[in-house]
Amino acid sequence: MLVLAIETATPRVSVALGRNGAVLGDVSLDGGRRHAEQLVPAIKYLCDELDIDLDQLAAVAVGLGPGLFTGLRVGVTTARLMAQALRIPMIGVPTLDLIAYPLRHTSRTVVSVVDARRKEVFFACYQPVPGGVQRSSEYEVGTPDGLAGELEARGEDALLAGDGALLYAAQLGALDRVELAGPGAAPPSAAALVELATARYEREEFSLPADVHPLYLRRSDAEIEWDRKGR
Amino acid sequence: MVAILGIETSCDETAAAIVDDGHDIRSSVVSSQVDLHARFGGVVPEIASRAHAELVGGVVAEALVEAGADLTDLDAVAACHGPGLAGALLVGVSAAKALALTLDIPYVGVNHLEAHLHAAWLEDPSVELPLAVLIVSGGHTMVVIVEEDARYRLIGQTVDDAAGEAFDKVARFLGLGYPGGPAIDRLAREGDPTAIEFPRPMLHDGFDFSFSGLKTAVLHHVRRHPDVEVRDVAASFQEAVVDVLLAKLVGAADEAGARTLVIGGGVAANSRLRSRLVEAAEESGRPALLPRVALCTDNGAMIAATAWWRLRSDGPTPLGCGAFPSLRLPTTD
Ligand SMILES: [Zn+2]
Repeated sequence: MLVLAIETATPRVSVALGRNGAVLGDVSLDGGRRHAEQLVPAIKYLCDELDIDLDQLAAVAVGLGPGLFTGLRVGVTTARLMAQALRIPMIGVPTLDLIAYPLRHTSRTVVSVVDARRKEVFFACYQPVPGGVQRSSEYEVGTPDGLAGELEARGEDALLAGDGALLYAAQLGALDRVELAGPGAAPPSAAALVELATARYEREEFSLPADVHPLYLRRSDAEIEWDRKGR
Repeated sequence: MVAILGIETSCDETAAAIVDDGHDIRSSVVSSQVDLHARFGGVVPEIASRAHAELVGGVVAEALVEAGADLTDLDAVAACHGPGLAGALLVGVSAAKALALTLDIPYVGVNHLEAHLHAAWLEDPSVELPLAVLIVSGGHTMVVIVEEDARYRLIGQTVDDAAGEAFDKVARFLGLGYPGGPAIDRLAREGDPTAIEFPRPMLHDGFDFSFSGLKTAVLHHVRRHPDVEVRDVAASFQEAVVDVLLAKLVGAADEAGARTLVIGGGVAANSRLRSRLVEAAEESGRPALLPRVALCTDNGAMIAATAWWRLRSDGPTPLGCGAFPSLRLPTTD
């Protein structure tokens, strides 16, 4: 069972090919925020180097965000149109899950924190369970202060990962019982996407391309402004 | 026979079409987002981008069904890659590149303005060159001379608002809602176009346009005359815009020796502009080509048709190419 995994919700463009849950190869490009330029060539490079024909794919997996709106749309649109053309199912996995999953061997609460711009972060909390992590909060957007307050209220030992945790390291890392995972644990993992998507595929938990939607968590400025003015 | 799928997502229409050999339209599907933007009185980029992402797959599928085609029948996939809203363009570009990669066929990035020029050939492949083309929409107002071998000369363009923008702003001020073009067009039919003598900005001053002053003149007039008939304001404003547009188009045609007058872009759907263009063409002794409204407003067919020409002259666009929000028309001078 061959799966193509695409993750573009952060400044990193990440693509992986996996067979039966094991990564055959992956390409990650950082920092440029050039998702639309880099994604398709990265997929092509990976397939060419691994000598894999796209017809052999069983499913396309994609990170759903939350994260950079434009990056998300590039990833989800690319994945959808590929699945549509190949007539194969899709598996969408929230990006915050992909940050938490590699940290499943801890005994602490894992908190994925992604930079949401405008001095806010997207975040979710997870409890380690056998074979993975189980989400124990909603997917949320809020200020680092709000997140700090939530962590203090929980009063659990917590491990924070993601680019949002790094960006607000001074504030979040100073909290009691909170530790920050290093930069290596920050980017959402395409390998985790391969693993999680494969498990879901085997349980037949997949979607039609039209049913896979980005997780924005925040409306457009125009809509927020509209409501603020109470019109 | 070369079948090309063209995708257009530069502003607020999600569109896809299949065109054979650059002229035979097999299908053309347009999903308008007008309702999503109406309450904001204009296109909201983030809302447009989200809607494109939701709609593009379905619109492509519908274009295939309407053409009785399968994805494997396609020889190339094209998308508008500029000018336009950055986030919106990237959806169409990503969709087209994903299909090109999966089907192993060429991708072609198309210039939106060039595509509007190509609508003339789609309407009438035997149209006589050179053409004097007026592209007029919410984002653009320009006169272009089209010569043999798709060579373009930009003769004039707006120095401030686009004509469509002026329609939207005036309609909003008059309480006619969004989009303003169709609202003013409808109301103007009952009004007197000679009722108010609005300024004709830059009428005899080169080939550039300016609509910001006209818009202000309308605002002032209505404030000073609160009892004025709105339909007369609409008709008189529209007449001033049409006068300027046609004077520049005909003047440019005279100067460049163009054989045919052409209009394109969303404002080319305006009924007064269309009927007055026919008269202006008769007066100036050359034919007018008025592409049907569906080819004037943003559509995928003009993208696919342009891509056919570009593929022959320049070959495919690299898959590493993104979008170009402020792309200009490739001109010869
Ligand atoms: Zn246009």
